[in-house]
Amino acid sequence: MSNEATLYGHSEVVTTHDVHHDEHHGHHHKETFITKYVFSQDHKMIAKQFLLTGIIWAIIGGLFSVLFRLQLGYPDQTFPILEELLGKWAAGGKIQPEFYYALVTMHGTVLVFFVLTAGLSGTFANFLIPLQIGARDMASPFMNMLSYWFFFLASIIMVSSLFVQTGPASGGWTSYPPLSALGDASEGSKAGMDLWLVAMAMFVVSTLLGGLNYVSTILNMRTKGMSMTRLPLTIWALFFTAVLGILSFPVLFSGFILLLFDRHAGTSFYLSDIFLASTQKALPNEGGSAILYQHLFWFLGHPEVYIILLPAMGMASEILSTNSRKPIFGYMAMIASLFAITVLAFLVWAHHMFVTGLNPFLGSFFVLLTLLIAVPSAIKVFNWLTTIWRGNLRFTPGMLFALGFVSLFISGGLTGIFLGNSTLDIHLHDTYFVVAHFHIVMGVASFFGMFAGIYHWFPKMYGRYLNNTLAFIHFWITLVGAYLIFWPMHYEGLAGMPRRYLDFSGWASFNQFGGLNRFISIVTMIVFAVQLLFVFNFFYSMFKGRRVTSQNPWGSNTLEWTTQINPGHGNWEGEIPEVHRWAYDYGKDGRDFISQTEPVGADESKH
Amino acid sequence: MAQAVPAEQKWWSGGKSPFNLEYGKLMMWYFLMSDAFTFGAFLISYGTIRFASNGWPDPNKVFQSFPGLGSGYPLAFVSLMTFILIISSVTMVLAVQAGHAMDKKAVVRNLILTIIGGLAFLSCQAWEWTHLHHEGAWWGSNPFLNADGTKASTNFTNFFFTITGFHGFHVFSGVIINIIMLIMTLNDVFERKGHYLMIEKAGLYWHFVDLVWVFVFTCFYLI
Amino acid sequence: MHFMENIQEITHHHSFDREAGKKEVIRVTVILTVFTLIELALGFWLMGIEAQFMRHLIKGVICILMLAKAFYIVGYFMHLKHELRNMIMTIVVPLLLFFWFIIAFLADGNSYKNLKNKYDPYHLEQSKTKVEAPAHEGGEHPDAKKEGSKE
Repeated sequence: MSNEATLYGHSEVVTTHDVHHDEHHGHHHKETFITKYVFSQDHKMIAKQFLLTGIIWAIIGGLFSVLFRLQLGYPDQTFPILEELLGKWAAGGKIQPEFYYALVTMHGTVLVFFVLTAGLSGTFANFLIPLQIGARDMASPFMNMLSYWFFFLASIIMVSSLFVQTGPASGGWTSYPPLSALGDASEGSKAGMDLWLVAMAMFVVSTLLGGLNYVSTILNMRTKGMSMTRLPLTIWALFFTAVLGILSFPVLFSGFILLLFDRHAGTSFYLSDIFLASTQKALPNEGGSAILYQHLFWFLGHPEVYIILLPAMGMASEILSTNSRKPIFGYMAMIASLFAITVLAFLVWAHHMFVTGLNPFLGSFFVLLTLLIAVPSAIKVFNWLTTIWRGNLRFTPGMLFALGFVSLFISGGLTGIFLGNSTLDIHLHDTYFVVAHFHIVMGVASFFGMFAGIYHWFPKMYGRYLNNTLAFIHFWITLVGAYLIFWPMHYEGLAGMPRRYLDFSGWASFNQFGGLNRFISIVTMIVFAVQLLFVFNFFYSMFKGRRVTSQNPWGSNTLEWTTQINPGHGNWEGEIPEVHRWAYDYGKDGRDFISQTEPVGADESKH
Repeated sequence: MAQAVPAEQKWWSGGKSPFNLEYGKLMMWYFLMSDAFTFGAFLISYGTIRFASNGWPDPNKVFQSFPGLGSGYPLAFVSLMTFILIISSVTMVLAVQAGHAMDKKAVVRNLILTIIGGLAFLSCQAWEWTHLHHEGAWWGSNPFLNADGTKASTNFTNFFFTITGFHGFHVFSGVIINIIMLIMTLNDVFERKGHYLMIEKAGLYWHFVDLVWVFVFTCFYLI
Repeated sequence: MHFMENIQEITHHHSFDREAGKKEVIRVTVILTVFTLIELALGFWLMGIEAQFMRHLIKGVICILMLAKAFYIVGYFMHLKHELRNMIMTIVVPLLLFFWFIIAFLADGNSYKNLKNKYDPYHLEQSKTKVEAPAHEGGEHPDAKKEGSKE
């Protein structure tokens, strides 16, 4: 806060402050439980808060998918236990249609925003940025704390919406009007929708506070010698993630404000020519355009996909290089492709709207721009493959998940080329093909990036390792399970099976998939159980895991491994180390790894 | 570049800000970027709906009243509002410059003028809203016809109240920020700190509010 | 906060000349005022013009003046022109996104109108029907929310 106090200081003065700071370290930091664990301003603790909240949300969101898979896999059976637990939402032991929509909606909202945005970039941007660029903390630790608490507030509101009498929002995670704008249109469009909108508004504030901090910290607070082209790729990825958030979330915010006015102030921003079947009334609203909302939503919605994916890409790059004991292949190309993805992310939003009434001629521009994303994505894939090519691979759990990430990103990315074509979209839109595509490329792939990050940096977070045996079980079942769940969905989608339907047994053409759906549902439950195993591993290892005994267990070059095993607030005991080289000097001149802090030798070869 | 910076200065090599700016100002700039996208989205939505409509009211028929003079004065009142905001922006720059020179008196004087300007603008807006409301305009209700005499949808007033309301909210929060700055200046907070950088950040916010008005003014009143 | 060494040295603009600054402010104020007056003059001129092409031309000029005013406010009042080039770039480059943002949204808005006019002839007919001007000077005070509300 009063960081400006030393504004006029010169570098020598800065060093003095450093020493000064350390002398007083002991006295200044008698922390209470509240300041250390609850309203903490230490970026590492805030990261852990984001992670734990994210884990809770992931369990809730995953449980929702198990519930609706139960319905999809066994549409003709009843489960009396569900009625015990859920009451009227599962009357007679069957998931009711309104509740089914609520489950699908909240599954999407929770996993996209609360887990894979806040839980993923909230955790790792907070944890890694100061540690890897060589800073004591974020630019504004206070705003960083607020960022978490706004997220917490958003979470509370979103959870409370699950318990209102008319149920949570149920118009899909995209909340398209008119369904979301008219309280009379469905149960889920009543109070649940309002709470959803307010929670999301709080979420936008949280993202903004966090994002501003991440960007200014990365730009302004790098330690001496840490030029932008010496940054680990994780930091580059998190930087672009924050930029995406800062520029796209406000547009969603505007869209939500207009939607709130449509709901409560009698405006017609998105409404026109509506006859409401539930009340048998024609509405007076005229002149609005529902497509406008879709534009505003997807102006965020598409960058959001990359907000989710980029941190996973960055962490996978770092982990693959470290565990191949080889420099990352094409470092500059990796940065360039991250940048290209960031720019293109803002230009392609309407490919989500090819069949919703978007002008087809305008759509053709969006096709072109969308297909361009294949170029930077392919560059990244080839660079990952060349990085591990002939490396000395160490199959740590983190490495396995990073490899799984690459595999999933390829499989899911390829179907993106299908869907990017507006003509193919006429057939494929709103089918299980779309569901399979985005779950693999953005959902599961990002989860794999997140797991890779957790396994890799857990020793830095808690000074202990996660259990390896459980980790391997977790990895293999999740990888195989993810493919078993989503691969068959491509076939169902190609056959025209639509998404968001409660029960397919009434259609002769989709009846054939009854067995396949049951199979998918069984695998879903197994995979969900294995995630609970991971959660167990996480909490068990936090307290009982094998202790980390050396500062740098993975033999890594980056700065976070030059801190103590359990770094305090301020990260480095003494001065912040100076950086002399990039982060990827692995296997150079016959040496296994050379830390970024080591000065370049006179006779060292160029990389 | 105003400051004397050695040409060979390596801005990006770490250990310093690549922009020669402290983080607070950087954050304020990026916050304003973000806010620009919020306003941008509002104004572009307004444009989209206007492009999607067959007719649109003529602003000169809607905004033609001046307090005390009655109607028949198109563009007059909004010109007054525009100039009030420009002048308050000028006094804000002068406050920032006085801060640079550590001239507390001038800072106080110019901040007070800026706050008065902000309040004057808000009063004008309050009068205009009240006047329009009396004519039957509000969210969801539009008494004005399209320029070609056909019936208009309510979106003209919907957007007008939403966007000028959101802008007015920014002016209001800007006034609050400036009042806080004034109190801090009077209490010698900045004198003790040795610099008036906080005022610069408040200034950035205030100019941004003025900037947004340039766009709102053009989009709603002129074209 | 205590992590003071996080702030690195910032060279200061103390050399900065207050008189020159004041002159610049006055110059920019005059420019902004003149631009606004031109805008207003164009606005008045616009009232009497029927020809569509001319109207669009004048509106185009007004938009250019608007952007020029924005340039002066951001460049001089917000001091961006005097920042380092790096800084200017981080602000200006993201703003380029607005080009496609505006073009795509407005183009699709326009297309929405055309499609609706084509496939909903009743809508087109309605939007061509002139109506009596309501006597809105009468000081009526309709409860606005009821009128347009969904109930």
